[in-house]
Amino acid sequence: MTRRSRWLSACGGLLVGLLVAVAALAPWLTPYDPAAIVVEHYHGPERPSAGHPLGTDTLGRDVWARVAYGSRTSLFVGVLAMGLSLVIGVSVGLVSGYFGGAVDATLMWVVDLVLTMPTLLLLIVLSAVLPPSLFTVPLVIGLVGWTTFARTVRGEVLSLRERDYVVAARALGASHGRIIRRHLLPGVLPGVVVLAALGMSGAIAIDAGLSYIGLGVPHPTPSWGRMVSDFQTYLGVAPWLVMVPGLAIALGVVGFNLLGYGLTDLLGTRRS
Amino acid sequence: MAGYLLRRVLRALSTLLGTTLIVFLLVRVVPADPAVSIAGPKADPETLAAIRKDLGLDQPVIVQYARYLTALAHGDLGKSYVTGRRVVDVIAQRLPATALLGVTSLAFGFLLGLGTGMFTAARRGGSWDLGVLLVTLVGLSLPTFWIGNVLLYVFAHRFHLLPLGGYGTARHLILPALTLGLAEFYFYARFVHTNMGEALSADYVRTARAKGVSPVRIYVRHALRNALIPIVTLLGLDIAGLMSGVVLTETVFNWPGLGRLAVQAVFSLDIPLVAGTVLFSATLVLASNLIVDLLYGVIDPRVQRG
Repeated sequence: MTRRSRWLSACGGLLVGLLVAVAALAPWLTPYDPAAIVVEHYHGPERPSAGHPLGTDTLGRDVWARVAYGSRTSLFVGVLAMGLSLVIGVSVGLVSGYFGGAVDATLMWVVDLVLTMPTLLLLIVLSAVLPPSLFTVPLVIGLVGWTTFARTVRGEVLSLRERDYVVAARALGASHGRIIRRHLLPGVLPGVVVLAALGMSGAIAIDAGLSYIGLGVPHPTPSWGRMVSDFQTYLGVAPWLVMVPGLAIALGVVGFNLLGYGLTDLLGTRRS
Repeated sequence: MAGYLLRRVLRALSTLLGTTLIVFLLVRVVPADPAVSIAGPKADPETLAAIRKDLGLDQPVIVQYARYLTALAHGDLGKSYVTGRRVVDVIAQRLPATALLGVTSLAFGFLLGLGTGMFTAARRGGSWDLGVLLVTLVGLSLPTFWIGNVLLYVFAHRFHLLPLGGYGTARHLILPALTLGLAEFYFYARFVHTNMGEALSADYVRTARAKGVSPVRIYVRHALRNALIPIVTLLGLDIAGLMSGVVLTETVFNWPGLGRLAVQAVFSLDIPLVAGTVLFSATLVLASNLIVDLLYGVIDPRVQRG
């Protein structure tokens, strides 16, 4: 069990590390600007070659440069969206689980409500309604994706608040805020780490879907999902323009997922 | 039983009311002026004012919400700003395509997933568990729209076996249904594998085995029946996920369903149409969850007390 989990999280960590490294080192990994036209005489998209390892696209831009810089967009959106979901979800979960009663019922009703809304449709509407900017997409993904955090944290708090040290703290007259921050929050953090990894994969996947539909980060920021939709028309003549960004999305999502599942197992065995 | 039924129905209704509020608020914060959307950017102020009055936009927000709810209660979702057609009619026209795609891929993914999960659960432990985990994890991580493109490339561009997109014949349905069905397949295969595995390791299975019950009977009567109860819940919850997949798949294959409709409506800022499709999908999800809840009460009497 533990060996398998270590192996899984190591694979996930490797993929995530690769993604972060490409994002951080993009300017050194490619001499080209992702938005620049690098082909001197344009004869349509060029196949992968020594000068352009992943070829060039229908506007004569270097595909590798666009994929490499695109990793920055994915990570940016992922981290921001996941961070927002995390803050909202953990707060709601802590408050809901600790206070119980009417507070809990109301908050869980809201959770149910958000879960019932068809996520992608809601996101499409939100991102179309709000003015387009680099922050719109992470904002809407974060605003819609916090329910899992809330449910899981609430569940953990329900068992934590009956523990002796929490009961003792309450008996000693500690304030609600202090009990939540000092005694409950540290207890739910390990589970939150797992959720954060899974949340990253979810946010990257949803961002890719939104970009594919045409509602992602605005031009000219390179985005993997948009690359797939931009070049679907050329699928027959230049398939690599679609395959490469799709694979990049898949690797990113798989990486964070593996990391999350591996960590679930690791933390699970440690607890038992 | 009656109390349980009533509680569930009331809860679903309260969620539905909340959904209408969210949709209403979303529609209200749209920066585009509906009057301009209808009359065009060159319309004179009197025309715009007349349209606003006609739509009730000059009234207080709370009155507008009340009017919106009253209209909804009469099954009126408003008229499209762009075509002037009734939103209900447009949705009714697009629904069959989405239903066809959704039901086909769900049936395909569910049945194949069930079969695969049952097969692998019988061989559970060690490398089979890891295999199922890895394959389903990678499968679920692949973006739907990208799978659609890969299938398009192989079957339409390379070997010219199937059409590039569109709607009408069974040949048009194969690739979209496969794209959407694959995700469903991984989802159910993993779930059935895990649940069957747990059921097969349970005490009552060991007891049955000790009593000398035949392996097939144990598998079907003892393990499968118990393992399948949670799947009912999953099917209900999955409808929401299916809607997201539908939007993307319909976009890839230019499938004339509700998802494509919603995306087009958003881009043309056709607010009543957007609100209508979102509300319709949410109601669909709510209804399927309610049916599942009620079924669950019938299948598993313990639930009623919860």
